[in-house]
Amino acid sequence: MQFYLPIAEMPVDPFVIMTMGAAVGFLSGMFGVGGGFLMTPLLIFYGIPPAIAVGTETTQIVASSVSGVTAHLKRKTVDFQMGGFLVLGGSVGSFIGVMIFRALSATGQIDLMISLSYVIFLGAIGGLMLLESTRALIRARDTRPRPRKRRSPTWLAAMPFAMRFRSSQLYISPLAPIMFGFFGGLMAAIMGVGGGFIMVPVMLYILNMPTNVVVGTSLFQIVFVTALTTILHAAANQTVDIALGLLLMVGGVIGAQLGARAGIKLRAEHLRALLALIVLAVCARLLIGLALPPSSPFTVHGVS
Amino acid sequence: MRALVVILAVIALSPAKAANIELGLADDRVEVDTGFAGAKLTLFGAITGIDDPAGNVDIVSVIRGPDARFQIREIEKANLIWVPGKTHLVEGAPGLYLTNSTKPVTDIAPLPLQDQYRLGADFLDIEIHTQSDHKDEIDKTVLYREAFLTEAKALGLYEARIDGIAFSKGALFTINARLPANTPVGEYTVSVYLFRNGELLSSDQAELGVNRVGLERRIYDFAFERPISYGIFCVIISLLAGWLASVAFRK
Repeated sequence: MQFYLPIAEMPVDPFVIMTMGAAVGFLSGMFGVGGGFLMTPLLIFYGIPPAIAVGTETTQIVASSVSGVTAHLKRKTVDFQMGGFLVLGGSVGSFIGVMIFRALSATGQIDLMISLSYVIFLGAIGGLMLLESTRALIRARDTRPRPRKRRSPTWLAAMPFAMRFRSSQLYISPLAPIMFGFFGGLMAAIMGVGGGFIMVPVMLYILNMPTNVVVGTSLFQIVFVTALTTILHAAANQTVDIALGLLLMVGGVIGAQLGARAGIKLRAEHLRALLALIVLAVCARLLIGLALPPSSPFTVHGVS
Repeated sequence: MRALVVILAVIALSPAKAANIELGLADDRVEVDTGFAGAKLTLFGAITGIDDPAGNVDIVSVIRGPDARFQIREIEKANLIWVPGKTHLVEGAPGLYLTNSTKPVTDIAPLPLQDQYRLGADFLDIEIHTQSDHKDEIDKTVLYREAFLTEAKALGLYEARIDGIAFSKGALFTINARLPANTPVGEYTVSVYLFRNGELLSSDQAELGVNRVGLERRIYDFAFERPISYGIFCVIISLLAGWLASVAFRK
């Protein structure tokens, strides 16, 4: 069976697309990550034009983040103040990202930019995660709990307009979350990711937010920033294919439920090592695509 | 007197004797809907003025899509990776160009006629506009044109087939052409040419429309005509889908 995508203007097999959504949903349910950074490359490997893969993936991230954030809202594990500043920075980042996207589309460099951003980010994140989880596995016999030091980083308090973030029990400048939010927004627009896999470590290790509000706050800001990114991509680049997005959402919802159940059975260090390997495999696949000589020295595109 | 009647009869009948080809379409619309994955296009025709045309005449059909704007881009090596390089605009190229013929076109018509009636993508008036007016670039336009034709053939947009034409019941014939999944929408012209011994005897034309329909068209028009509303619509759908999922799987 074939399904013709209205914006991508190509027929796809809806079951293959839903399965891809389910597979990534499974991984994101299992590892507690958004999955955009795996879904977008998978769509590109399938043959969806990279620009449409990025624009469309933002819709799926909106959906999966909303369903994730509702639980955190109920448990009151969202720092709205911090989230607000992240969204503020993220909105500016998203806007600039979409403008860069548009400019690169016009010169034909966008596909390269997307692939390169992915190779760099996936390579760095995957490498770090692998290193960290191997270390954790080696130390695993050491069962003493290591208390995490919690203090407001001095350089963040030293920046101007420092203020108190009650839920996070921090005294830092709002310029810090605005700045990190900005990079998150930039990534959302150019790479079609929520940015949780960058934002969560940033909140934990740089902003030093308490663990219990990190995920909820990250999801909260992702909902707003990716929703804005969807609108901006639709308006500036016409690269949002809602039919493709819906197929991914259906697959993703089912996969995430199954993944969450499977994840409980695995140990955290094993989970992280596994995710690191998957991330590095996707990175390698993208790198091979960039390094292998093309089948033809020319490409032809229709322009409107 | 009898001789005169015979002569008049011959004169009266002679226009009918001139070979003629006529073309009809089973359906002059091709609909691109959510199930579209390419389409079979059947052309019907009749040849008059020739006894027993099968095997004695040759037919060439040309399906020409709406003019499209293409870009051709060179891929260059930059250190370890391959990156898109210079881009050139391609003008005068139809979005689709399919020919079907009873045998290879070179065996049917002499070169001047192939060229005159564009009986193949190679004869199209395609112009390459290079980015710079540098002499080297201008010299390379022939190369770019060749490369464009090669790529368009690889994409399945330009194709020359020597099958699909079948004669049935003497004067009637059918042409089975296949529109690929990446068929562009727009107004098409379908032409048929009747040849015998390298000589063009007759030709005919018909119009064909390839249009988006139904949900396909609604989404496309919405996205391109009211892009901001469409973006907001996409967000609302996604929010609803996410919320529904969280309600459905609430423990």
